[in-house]
Amino acid sequence: MKNEEILRVEKLKVQFLNREKLKFSARKTGRWKIVLDEISFSIIEGETFGIVGETGSGKSTLARTLVGIYKPKSGRITLMGREINFKKREDLLYLRKNVGIVFQDPVGSLNPRLKIREIIREGLAIEEKLSRIDQDKKIDEISDLVGLADSKLDSYPNEISGGEKQRVSLARALVNNKRILILDEPTSSLDVSIQAQILNLLRKLKDELSITYIFITHDFNVIRYMCDRIGVLYYGQILEISSVHDIYENPLHPYSSDLMNANITLETENKFDSQYEIGEPSRSGCIYLNSCMKKFEKCNISPPEFNVNGRLVKCWLYESGKL
Amino acid sequence: MINIPGVISQEKGLKSELLLVKGLTVDFETFDKKIEVLKDVSLKIERGEVVTIVGESGSGKSTLAQAIIGVLDTPPAFVKRGEIYFDGVRIFPTDGKRVKFRGTGINMVFQEPLVSLNPVYTIRKQLLEAAEIGGIPEKGGEREKVIKNTLTELMIRDVERVLNSYPHQLSGGMRQRAAIAMAVIQRPKLVILDEPTTGLDLIVQRKIMGLLLNLRREINTSLLIITHDLAVAANMADRIYVMYAGRIVESGTRGDIIKDPLHPYSLMLRDSVPTGYKESGPLKVTEGAPPDMSALPPGCPFHPRCPNVMDICRKNIPPLKNIGDVREVACWLYEK
Repeated sequence: MKNEEILRVEKLKVQFLNREKLKFSARKTGRWKIVLDEISFSIIEGETFGIVGETGSGKSTLARTLVGIYKPKSGRITLMGREINFKKREDLLYLRKNVGIVFQDPVGSLNPRLKIREIIREGLAIEEKLSRIDQDKKIDEISDLVGLADSKLDSYPNEISGGEKQRVSLARALVNNKRILILDEPTSSLDVSIQAQILNLLRKLKDELSITYIFITHDFNVIRYMCDRIGVLYYGQILEISSVHDIYENPLHPYSSDLMNANITLETENKFDSQYEIGEPSRSGCIYLNSCMKKFEKCNISPPEFNVNGRLVKCWLYESGKL
Repeated sequence: MINIPGVISQEKGLKSELLLVKGLTVDFETFDKKIEVLKDVSLKIERGEVVTIVGESGSGKSTLAQAIIGVLDTPPAFVKRGEIYFDGVRIFPTDGKRVKFRGTGINMVFQEPLVSLNPVYTIRKQLLEAAEIGGIPEKGGEREKVIKNTLTELMIRDVERVLNSYPHQLSGGMRQRAAIAMAVIQRPKLVILDEPTTGLDLIVQRKIMGLLLNLRREINTSLLIITHDLAVAANMADRIYVMYAGRIVESGTRGDIIKDPLHPYSLMLRDSVPTGYKESGPLKVTEGAPPDMSALPPGCPFHPRCPNVMDICRKNIPPLKNIGDVREVACWLYEK
């Protein structure tokens, strides 16, 4: 693994027009609902970076912004040393050429009227100079790699199973040698044994294609198994970034530790009997103020990110930079 | 074929089981084919027991739940054989008599919450009705208090708005919680939950499960939870049934199934759940997918994916055999 930064996100802010006055929206500021609130992180080439968060935390918005589907309000995204200007066509093409995405819903992301081969070919549309024969060659190679039988290439999406659909999505995303692949809940609509097959496949693909993954999920068992580092997202803010071992064995931010405590695995027993409470995000001060068990006076001011032994934590408890 | 120790066949013979399903066989019949969706399924639930059925899509677990409460769509579904007893009374077949068991007897929360909710009434009206069925007195705003408490328990932050909404105005997670609240408020003897936690956040999942376990503590309610998530089963269940291709392939206590699964399919299910870090190596799972129910392979339906397949597995279907007190397994490996 090279220790080179491949993607850097600085103070990324994404906001949506607040059409309804939803009472539970995160940090309302008039007409705009801020979905991602100045988040920063960087990703090292070859790693798997996990983003975990609950419903409404902005995970999928982040994924979509990183491939240029949503435009950020402010902030910078730097991909392999080149800053992306979301208003310039060539920058967006550069982004899409290098960053692929697999969506959660395999049914909704495959065109029902195209054959599988043509769906995968869509991934090559960005490579203008490729002849059709070369395209077919690439399609055959990639479908071999993702374990898609040749006979399926001439089927339509409704004729194949959920696991196969997710393989098609993978093939489409990877057919033109992407550097980064964003996986937005790639297995949560699949059966457990199929999920295990896809997870094994993802790990194999990563070894063979030396690609960088951004893995978004709410499943803590999956994220532990897949990732090197994790960012914990809560209502548009990243509260902690740590290595996966650190965060599972010694979570620093109170929210991370509440999440880890709530996680159930095959080894835990009767965990449902204990009580947990996570309230509404706070509108002023630290965003986790309302639910935090360890709050003190200082928490009325929003904390900056503190660096604790290389881990980033957004909590006043770690102001000294020590554990 | 039916092999449950201590089974009673007369209609009112009381035993401790709350629910008893014997040899249930359900076919789906269409113009051109007949599919056996459930094949000789027998299960029992004791009073106050939490039972989970785990299996993948197409294993027939939802069909089983629908058959128990008698809401199968006929056609295409036809119950071919089998008997169901609830609380000592035969609820299927009823020989034309009307037997009331839904509501305070068996209450079901469907996977799709819109099925449980009436689209033309507000959530408040529906929950108040549930409170009435649950026997909560009307005076002093007692019902209103109970429904608000239940919703708060389920981590609904703006109870008033939810109560005044119609089902279509709520998000999927909110509807799911409203449907679960409706079941809990009626204080039934048995709650059947079909994939109750799919799509819900971890903390909300735990709240729901906590609420159901409270109900068990208070009034000894039994739970039948249908899930594909083995972790939920491991944390909730007293006993687990594993289903594959419309059959029960193994059953036993939580410890049996999670720590020491016998059937190769149960083992594969357990090994499919990632438990370690990246360094722990690939998950032990074989390629292939659950079978197409209209074209089941001959012999054991799991044999094409089974790592321990033998000759006999390709020819004959293994029977479900009792081994130990509460343990059954259907596999030729244990046929001795």
